Amino acid sequence: MYCLETDRLTHTFSGDTIVLDQIHLQVPTGSIYGFLGPNGAGKTTTLRLVLGLLKKKQGEIRVFGKRFDRDRLSILQRVGSLIETPSLYGHLTAVENLTLLQKIYRCPKERIGEVLELVGLPDTGNKKASQFSLGMRQRLGIAIALLNNPSFLILDEPTNGLDPNGIIEMRELLRTLNKERGMTILLSSHLLSEIEKLVTHVGIISKGKLLFQGTLESLLHQRHAGAATLIETSDAVRAVEILKKNGLDARIIRQSNDLETIFIDLINN
Amino acid sequence: MRSFVYSFQSEWLKKRRTASSWLVIAGGFFIPVILLISRFVDFETLPVVNGGPHLWEFLYGRSWQFMGLFLLPMGVILATSLVTQLEFRNNSWKQLHATPQTLTTIFFAKLAVILVMMLQFFVLFNIGIYLCGVIPALFNGVPYPKEAYPWVAFLRGNGRFFVDCLPIIALQYLISLQFRNFLVPIGAGLGLYVASMIAIFWKYGYVVPYCYGALNFLRNNSKVDPNVNFQTWAVGYFVVLTVVGYVLYMTKKEKG
Repeated sequence: MYCLETDRLTHTFSGDTIVLDQIHLQVPTGSIYGFLGPNGAGKTTTLRLVLGLLKKKQGEIRVFGKRFDRDRLSILQRVGSLIETPSLYGHLTAVENLTLLQKIYRCPKERIGEVLELVGLPDTGNKKASQFSLGMRQRLGIAIALLNNPSFLILDEPTNGLDPNGIIEMRELLRTLNKERGMTILLSSHLLSEIEKLVTHVGIISKGKLLFQGTLESLLHQRHAGAATLIETSDAVRAVEILKKNGLDARIIRQSNDLETIFIDLINN
Repeated sequence: MRSFVYSFQSEWLKKRRTASSWLVIAGGFFIPVILLISRFVDFETLPVVNGGPHLWEFLYGRSWQFMGLFLLPMGVILATSLVTQLEFRNNSWKQLHATPQTLTTIFFAKLAVILVMMLQFFVLFNIGIYLCGVIPALFNGVPYPKEAYPWVAFLRGNGRFFVDCLPIIALQYLISLQFRNFLVPIGAGLGLYVASMIAIFWKYGYVVPYCYGALNFLRNNSKVDPNVNFQTWAVGYFVVLTVVGYVLYMTKKEKG
């Protein structure tokens, strides 16, 4: 069962530039799905389409098994999101920012205190959101995303602006939400080492095409299966030239098997 | 309906401490305060005027003359544009459009907030006019106004000014929903206001939707056809411009 499924999702901006090409995203229920890709790959466009912030041109989006364009309201009632920078009203306090959404979601007022506690912002008092540091803004953005106790959480670069301690806290928070409350989490990030520590599933997108999708283990396994002979040499460039002259496919890789290396390999090929 | 009420409450809370909410309060009391000061400058005339039979008509006429001609259209242009600018400035359209409410609810909740703000302004302005007549009576030798405050007549007059403002609200709302740059709705509003001031010296000037407030005072000096009921035109413009604004908002490709 997939919490989110897109079928041949294609999107073009003006001038018919294809930014998403037949994306078939499958986010399993209960997973933490890392959505990776270089800048301009189409990550945010995909997430904006999923939330209905962009008008869909081709393809289908299903959330909780329902078509988004038919059941938008009931789907959004169970989705929390943070897309790019947090949307905060700078002239309002943290509590006021949450109160205006609490009215729309019609969740209990006590929930405001709970989410502020969860993200580590319990005592901001009368301080306006415009006076918050980047990290505090990010935390409040996540508190807003969690306010309606969503079943599906969409986070675009959630660790932006957080210090190392904040990143660790956020990782723990997301892990807890996933494990203890069964929340499905879709997060995009460029911090590959962070993604690697947290996610169960990975999707890699580049130039609008989904290059890989599956569990983190299967990605690492695929990497092993596709491995050829590894030659260590003092002059890699010269070695590649000689191998190619002899009709062998050869390229220079970094001798590492972490997600960052796999990601760079996938993007470059 | 309930979702509209919750959406309205949320939108109302958003404008707390914003420039638009201060504008309503300051704008409501601005002319009455100036009028009060001018009355105190001519302190010796106060006992006669305050005890006279037409005090409220005098204060109401003087206040609305300045307000209706220039400050009200300017205030409406600014306040309407500021309400939508709030979302652009805080980059919050995306959050708002990802909440479980229909786009229709969002559109009309914001419009309702602007209309209620206008009503709030009218109430404050009338309280200001009332205080302008009553406060001098606190001083020695100045009588309390003998004439009863003509609520019904003033309510009718206020209603006319409110209707005159409706096309400005609808067009400013339409423009400010479409453009991120604050200068576009403000520039368009000022341009149309200037055009309307020129248009009142034209027989068909009533087709410019920003001139109705001014026509209340300048009708005798204008060349606008005296048989035209411009309140009907104002309502018509409001309905048409609101529908156009709604369609444009609903069909916007990017929603944050």
